[in-house]
Amino acid sequence: MAVAAAPSSSRAGRRLVGRVARSEGATGWLFASPAAILIAIFGLLPIAWSLLLSFQKADLLTPDTPWVGTANYRQMANDPLFAGAIQHTIVYTSLFVPGTIVVGFLIAVALNRKIRGISIYRTAAYVTMAVSSISAAIVFLWLFDPVYGVVNYGLSLLHLPQQPFMSDPSQALFVIVLMTVWGWTGFAVVIYLAALQGIPQDVLDAAAIDGASRFTVLRTIVVPLLSPATLFLVVWLTINALQLFDEVYLSTRGGPLYSTSVVVYYLWDQAFRQFNAGYAAAMAYALFLVIALVTAIQFWLGEKFVHYSS
Amino acid sequence: MTVHTVVTVPDDVVSGTSTSNPVPDARRSRAPSPWHLVLIPITFVLLVPLLWMLITSLETPDEAAQFPPTLVPHDIRWANYPDALNAAPFGQFFLNSAIVAVVVVLSNVVLCSLAGYAFARLQFPGKSLLFASLMVTLMVPFQVTMIPEFLIVKWLGIHVASGVGIDHLGALIVPNLVTAFGIFFLRQFFRTIPVELEEAARIDGTSRIGVLFKIVLPLSLPALSTLAALTFLDSWNNFLWPLIVIDSQSNMTLPLGLTFFQSAHATQWTLLMAGNVMSLLPMLVIFFAAQRYFVRSVAATGLKG
Amino acid sequence: MAQVELRNVTRRYGSDVFALRDLNLDVADGEFIILVGPSGCGKSTALRLLAGLDKPTSGDILIGGQVVNSMLPGERDIAMVFQNYALYPHMSVYRNLAYGLKQRKTPKHEVDERVRRTSTMLGLESLLERKPAQLSGGQRQRVAMGRALVREPRVFLLDEPLSNLDAKLRSEVRGELKRLHHRLGITTIYVTHDQVEAMTLGDRICVMSEGTLQQLGTPQEIYESPANVFVAGFMGSPAMNLARVPLVAGQVLWGGLPVAHVELGLDEVVVGVRPESFRVVGADEPAAVATVDFVEPLGSHNLVHVRMEASGAPSPAGAPSPQTAELVVAQVPTHERPTPGSRIRLGIDPMDVYLFHPASGVALTEVQLSPIARIS
Ligand SMILES: Nc1ncnc2c1ncn2[C@@H]1O[C@H](COP(=O)(O)OP(=O)(O)O)[C@@H](O)[C@H]1O
Ligand SMILES: [Mg+2]
Repeated sequence: MAVAAAPSSSRAGRRLVGRVARSEGATGWLFASPAAILIAIFGLLPIAWSLLLSFQKADLLTPDTPWVGTANYRQMANDPLFAGAIQHTIVYTSLFVPGTIVVGFLIAVALNRKIRGISIYRTAAYVTMAVSSISAAIVFLWLFDPVYGVVNYGLSLLHLPQQPFMSDPSQALFVIVLMTVWGWTGFAVVIYLAALQGIPQDVLDAAAIDGASRFTVLRTIVVPLLSPATLFLVVWLTINALQLFDEVYLSTRGGPLYSTSVVVYYLWDQAFRQFNAGYAAAMAYALFLVIALVTAIQFWLGEKFVHYSS
Repeated sequence: MTVHTVVTVPDDVVSGTSTSNPVPDARRSRAPSPWHLVLIPITFVLLVPLLWMLITSLETPDEAAQFPPTLVPHDIRWANYPDALNAAPFGQFFLNSAIVAVVVVLSNVVLCSLAGYAFARLQFPGKSLLFASLMVTLMVPFQVTMIPEFLIVKWLGIHVASGVGIDHLGALIVPNLVTAFGIFFLRQFFRTIPVELEEAARIDGTSRIGVLFKIVLPLSLPALSTLAALTFLDSWNNFLWPLIVIDSQSNMTLPLGLTFFQSAHATQWTLLMAGNVMSLLPMLVIFFAAQRYFVRSVAATGLKG
Repeated sequence: MAQVELRNVTRRYGSDVFALRDLNLDVADGEFIILVGPSGCGKSTALRLLAGLDKPTSGDILIGGQVVNSMLPGERDIAMVFQNYALYPHMSVYRNLAYGLKQRKTPKHEVDERVRRTSTMLGLESLLERKPAQLSGGQRQRVAMGRALVREPRVFLLDEPLSNLDAKLRSEVRGELKRLHHRLGITTIYVTHDQVEAMTLGDRICVMSEGTLQQLGTPQEIYESPANVFVAGFMGSPAMNLARVPLVAGQVLWGGLPVAHVELGLDEVVVGVRPESFRVVGADEPAAVATVDFVEPLGSHNLVHVRMEASGAPSPAGAPSPQTAELVVAQVPTHERPTPGSRIRLGIDPMDVYLFHPASGVALTEVQLSPIARIS
């Protein structure tokens, strides 16, 4: 504090400074310690413990956790169920992320105009943000019910064959893609609308005068200028996609026979159903590494292709 | 949570009720824009899941179990709602969710404010180390920590108090009393408040805690309510952690309770949808009461249910 | 190249905001015409209508003799320079210049050749690989001009293109614009609110106010015979001194000096005198007497701010006192440097006095020629 430090040439002044600094340190710890203790117990300690567990055999029940070295990590390489979970996660992510981005982009473009009632349309797009993953999954299960579902009814109206959806392992993942795309649409729309409003109108006018059609303006001006928003969405949606769990649990329990299990579902199953906590911890760390790596790669690619203004 | 990008959303984007109405274009206002032809189907498709949930929740079980589906119920059956409350303790789930959410929100607002202020403005030994650990916990996904967290909660239940142990509401509350995200979020906000305001009060002899409560927090109401809304959303919609630590029906929160009901009464779609509507209501109320706010908060932090 | 015509063009927003009201304008092939007027008078609207970025509520727009009302901007073969340049931020200078040509499916080697030629003309050769964010304000302005020029359009539209440049750069670019126009002869419509730019650049000037055309003419005509009070007050720097003066038996007395005689049965007129029309005179010459308020030395001349004293004319009994203490600016040679508070005698040649109708603001000579037509 400037005031306290003013008479610092005198000994008393220096003492005052010392006292202020000490009391500030004490206040700082006083303020931070409740949070620090909780973060230490429920944040830091688990991070370290999890790493330890990943080198142990643990079943969550007995206190005895023998050291197994890298066995858990080696097991991942030889576990066909884990390989399947990875495969499903990759399929899911590579459909969900582009799907949400394309849907969000198109809706945002349609919503980016000043016409009567536009706020009603926007509200409808945003409301999906308030729906929890479990609520959304339950509704989609009902919409895609193989017997009574509205979607099958819609297909019948179009004279298309009825689909088993959730009861068919090869279709269940796609229904999950649809329900999560729906759930994240509002988010993608807000991000894109905010970015669209940041594009100066006169730049779009200039392109129109230069002879570009509306579609060409979209392709050559709007899409590149939205690339920071797109990068943000790609990173964020990927992180969330890699952690998919709720919808899988609710709709298929990963089944039948793990045919729809994704990494986090398998991990949870191993930890809390099969009581292979050490193995699950190793998978969690692997997942963490993958997320970090994917994020880093996306940012690196972003540096090369994303246009940041100014 | 791994990335924290602050997305600023212009007012115009989030407004549900447009305040700044531009002078309508004379030429266009005569004929409705053709864009309505695009926007109406889009809106319809987006709303179908919610509409269908509502419709089913008002149908008789017979109507729900028909193909082709009954798109408009013949007589509206409100009784599905009390029936749902009888078939499963939805009231109890609701209460549990509310207790957990309210306690977690309050404690986050208080504890994150205190810690956030310390990180933003105070010098204390070990601060940078503490802050670095905060950032680490921000970056590590929940899946890494959930197994040890389970063991810690189990230990606490046995050795400290059964109320915070496995299969108790405390297990849903205690690990979430404070979040690294909340601390970081408020710290960032506090740093934008001009330090001169605080210095002036300090010179007038106000204590640190006084400065925090009389100067900083009143100026931070937008950030505090964002944190409160998101913490509530997170808590209300959380599924994986309750699934891990809660076993008995009486301690289930809504998402877990719904899941439980769904697997127990797989064919009672009308009751399930009634329960689903009830569980959605609080979030929808918050959404419509403060849409501008809600949308901006979610966009700014990337957190959603 | 082409002539441009606006026929009874009106652009209305909502039910009562008239950005343009019944505007008629003929621009000859190869002409450099200026739209000038205060902010909000509809200049940009006029330009956007010409570009096709906006559509008129009523009226026709013709380019090269053809009605283009329903043509898209890209089909009109015009180019536009925007106030904030509107460069494509994610493209290099080269790609900014080439964009319009590519949209027109120009062969690649020709695109390249034209981009090189234009960038040489504007001194942009060394900047071709840069992005707009890496350019200075002046360089961005040049790129914006280059992007318009490279297409060799029929019509060149510029909306306050120099307003974001500092004063020195502005006068440099002004000269350059003039040279470019001379060399290329493209029909140019240039919007500005700066009357210095208007006077120095245009073949003709179109002065606008509140969406309507006030006067169209060469810079000389606009300066020497402003059509109304608005034009008189807007064009010229420093601005013309304007004052309401009561008529005493048809006599216009200004600062005690009789400056004109009006026989139209009016009670008062608006008198206008340009600062540069005053002369400081000795006691032997007839003059308006004024008290010096302060002096602004400008190097080449001084601006003397004075308060006109009450009219020397005897006011008829009972009538309100004629105007008092009117603030007036006079431009005088540098050696005239009166001290504040001193009295100064200002001579005026009656030929330099402008008179305007007190109600309509129309220049009185015109009223006298056709008194009914203009006062509506
Ligand atoms: N999109 C619009 N909606 C409503 N009013 C507008 C719109 N665009 C321009 N105006 C109004 O039209 C008038 C002329 O605007 P403009 O042509 O931009 O003026 P200038 O370029 O001469 O400053 C202004 O009063 C402005 O408020
Ligand atoms: Mg303008």
